[in-house]
Amino acid sequence: MSKATLVFVLRRLLQVIPVVLAIAAFNFLLLKLAPGDAADIIAGQMGHATVEFTQQLRREFGLDLPLWEQFLVYMTRLLVFDLGVSHLQGLPVIDLILARLPATLILMITAIFIAVLVGIVLGVAAARRQGTLADNLISTLALVVYAIPAFWLGLMLIVLFSIQLDILPSGGMVSIGAGHTGLAHVLDVAWHLVLPAVTLGLFYVAVYTRLMRASMLEVYGLDFIATARAKGLSEGKIAWTHAARNALLPVATLCGVQLGHLLGGSILVETVFGWPGLGRLVFDALLQRDLNLLLGILFVSSVVVVIANLVVDLLYGLLDPRIVHK
Amino acid sequence: MTSARFLGLAMAALLAGTAVTALADEPRRGGTLTYTYHPEPTALSTVATTAVPTALISTKIYEGLIEYEGAAMTPVPGLAESWEISDDQLTYTFKLRPDVVWHDGEPFTSEDVKFSIDVIAKGYHSRGRTYFGNVEEIETPDEHTVILHLSAPVPYLIRAFQAGETPLLPRHAFSDEEIAEERVRQAEIMQAPIGTGPFKLQEWNRGSYIILERNEDYWKEGKPYLDQVILRVIPDGAARAIAVERGEVDLAPMTALPPPEMQRLGGLPHLVSSQEGSEGLGPIMWLEVNLREAPLSDKRVRQAISMAIDRERLVDVIWYGNGQPARGPVVSGNPNHFDASLEPFPYDPEAAEALLDEAGYPRGDNDVRFTLTQNFLPYGEEWVRQAEYIRQQLRGIGIEVTNQSLDMGGWLQRIYTDWDYDFTSNFTHNYSDPTIGVQRAFISTNIRQGASFSNSMNYANPHLDDLFHQAAAMPDGPERKAIWDEVQQILREDLPVIFLIEIGYTHIWNERVHGLITNGISMYSNWDSVWVE
Repeated sequence: MSKATLVFVLRRLLQVIPVVLAIAAFNFLLLKLAPGDAADIIAGQMGHATVEFTQQLRREFGLDLPLWEQFLVYMTRLLVFDLGVSHLQGLPVIDLILARLPATLILMITAIFIAVLVGIVLGVAAARRQGTLADNLISTLALVVYAIPAFWLGLMLIVLFSIQLDILPSGGMVSIGAGHTGLAHVLDVAWHLVLPAVTLGLFYVAVYTRLMRASMLEVYGLDFIATARAKGLSEGKIAWTHAARNALLPVATLCGVQLGHLLGGSILVETVFGWPGLGRLVFDALLQRDLNLLLGILFVSSVVVVIANLVVDLLYGLLDPRIVHK
Repeated sequence: MTSARFLGLAMAALLAGTAVTALADEPRRGGTLTYTYHPEPTALSTVATTAVPTALISTKIYEGLIEYEGAAMTPVPGLAESWEISDDQLTYTFKLRPDVVWHDGEPFTSEDVKFSIDVIAKGYHSRGRTYFGNVEEIETPDEHTVILHLSAPVPYLIRAFQAGETPLLPRHAFSDEEIAEERVRQAEIMQAPIGTGPFKLQEWNRGSYIILERNEDYWKEGKPYLDQVILRVIPDGAARAIAVERGEVDLAPMTALPPPEMQRLGGLPHLVSSQEGSEGLGPIMWLEVNLREAPLSDKRVRQAISMAIDRERLVDVIWYGNGQPARGPVVSGNPNHFDASLEPFPYDPEAAEALLDEAGYPRGDNDVRFTLTQNFLPYGEEWVRQAEYIRQQLRGIGIEVTNQSLDMGGWLQRIYTDWDYDFTSNFTHNYSDPTIGVQRAFISTNIRQGASFSNSMNYANPHLDDLFHQAAAMPDGPERKAIWDEVQQILREDLPVIFLIEIGYTHIWNERVHGLITNGISMYSNWDSVWVE
């Protein structure tokens, strides 16, 4: 890594701090607007709670303090990376998140890998055969897949692959009680990962196919492609070595932007497949008004998204050597 | 319920009964029972929350002082091998079994019982003060004797010692600081439980599963039969149904499955479906009505609304047959307190219209008499569809209804803190006694802002209050039963809420599982006699 790049990375990391803090402050105030709190929910679940009981819970959770004081306590703790304790689960928020983060990251990364890989191949194939039956077929297929709701697709895949064919598990991340370690554990997770990753990835395949196709067509119109053809290079070589690499920049940009989006999409997929990731945790935390947990997850996911975008910025340099970080 | 339907159910029950007796002769030791429920528990003790997911799993780990048999919940010896109640019902003397140890090997003693009632139940359990408010002193003359001294009789006290209601926790697992600083709910034991029950925690993989393993030192000779009880977390309802259908999961208790799936799976040959085993909970659903303003403050309007709703249709169409029309505040399956003379509520839209005319609300512009806003519990699709159905029915008698959707936090706030609503569906439990489950919603002293599932209606009837007070301090018997009969008749006449349905908890299990239904809280029992083929 050159010195310029290093300075660039450090500067960007410093910029991350105020951004993330501002997001956290905004989240805190936004969530406080929602009616009801965790004490209401627990008292409601307990069925026969008294007013005193609910107030006792509020006192335990620090929800009886004035709003500005709660805000001050929260932001002060955040500065030293203390995310507090989950109201409902009574465990440190950071532990709960770290227990779920790997599952979500594995799912997201695999899904985006599938989406980008398949999307690029199909996009290039469609662009090379612009206007032909193959192009139309790919474009239509992409549109259809794009229109299928993820939860329905997930259920259909379960019906096909776990009930009818009985070759893939219907849910979960590991075989319960099998106690696999090492390679066996990795294979077990991979086996469970196939359906959720494909479900989540297919939607984005459509996005990347369309984008890659459009981007390729744009590049095909440029002079250097004409030069390459004049040199007598094969169409395959032109497409993959010259055009595709140049056409990849918008795809990389979209990858970064879509990571946040993907986190949202993973909620549905995690629900259908019982995948123990952050998506489901955030949904339950919201319904249960588990403020600390919710804020913690939003904080961590904003950090993940900001860092992912930094990585994408660095990737530009690799894809296109003309881009220099100043 | 139509007679044909009833016949069908009775036949099914009979068949299920014979099937169970035919196979259930030889309990087999070993094997695993996997069940599924959603959401995942947030803690493993009902001290943290009594929400269903926590109650389901924690009652296998923790035990109450005594056990209960049958739908009538007859108390039988458990950790207390015997007990005596004085004639004036003011002194309860329990003798504890001497051979019981906690999961960590420490002996179980009278100090633990005293601590669990005095500190835990009274201080942290939402119903603890209701049960033990009259307990003035707890004496522990020796390690195996506990004596409760009461200031006034509590007729339902003997049913308060269920594992979910008054779980026994080890005193030694809490530090003095945790108790002094009210940090019991954050104590380590809430996540890493130490009980006396037949199963103990082996592994909790958050978001995926919980494995309980057999407690080898369990005090009941030869029990439990199962090696393991596993909870599989499957967030999606359809996916849960698939897992049960495929046999990956053996049991879907209570509301684990969406009603349409229950109906479908209930018809499969390898699965057993039963609504038995929840008599001690007494689930009941009604429309809670805000009585503060006209027109709902008028009894005739409420009676008209009640007559405009076809409860049988509601059960059949919206709830896929899970339950039956309610006949009052006490569920008809409660053998001790239900007034069997109560008729089903009439369905008669024409009479409803006549009542509204009489009340002074004639049809006006667009045939509308008046408009109301309806809220509903955010418990899932059926509740939305029910609200739609009720809106339709009321439109038929000239009442225009707007539905308003809220999530749980918002709903609780609007109904119980803001009191800002017209009417809403509500769902609650009778529990073991009407003093606990019924009084709460209708006694006027419980018109308290911020108390969930209280008297949000603003219903005040001094005579009824008086009956509640009498029943609360009187032993169960014909005299007390007569009071409850009168309470039910008054509430049916006044209709401070519109009683709708006794929702049935339909448990669905694989036919290889036996011994699940043992009493009126079978899913909250410890499953020590459950076995699998």
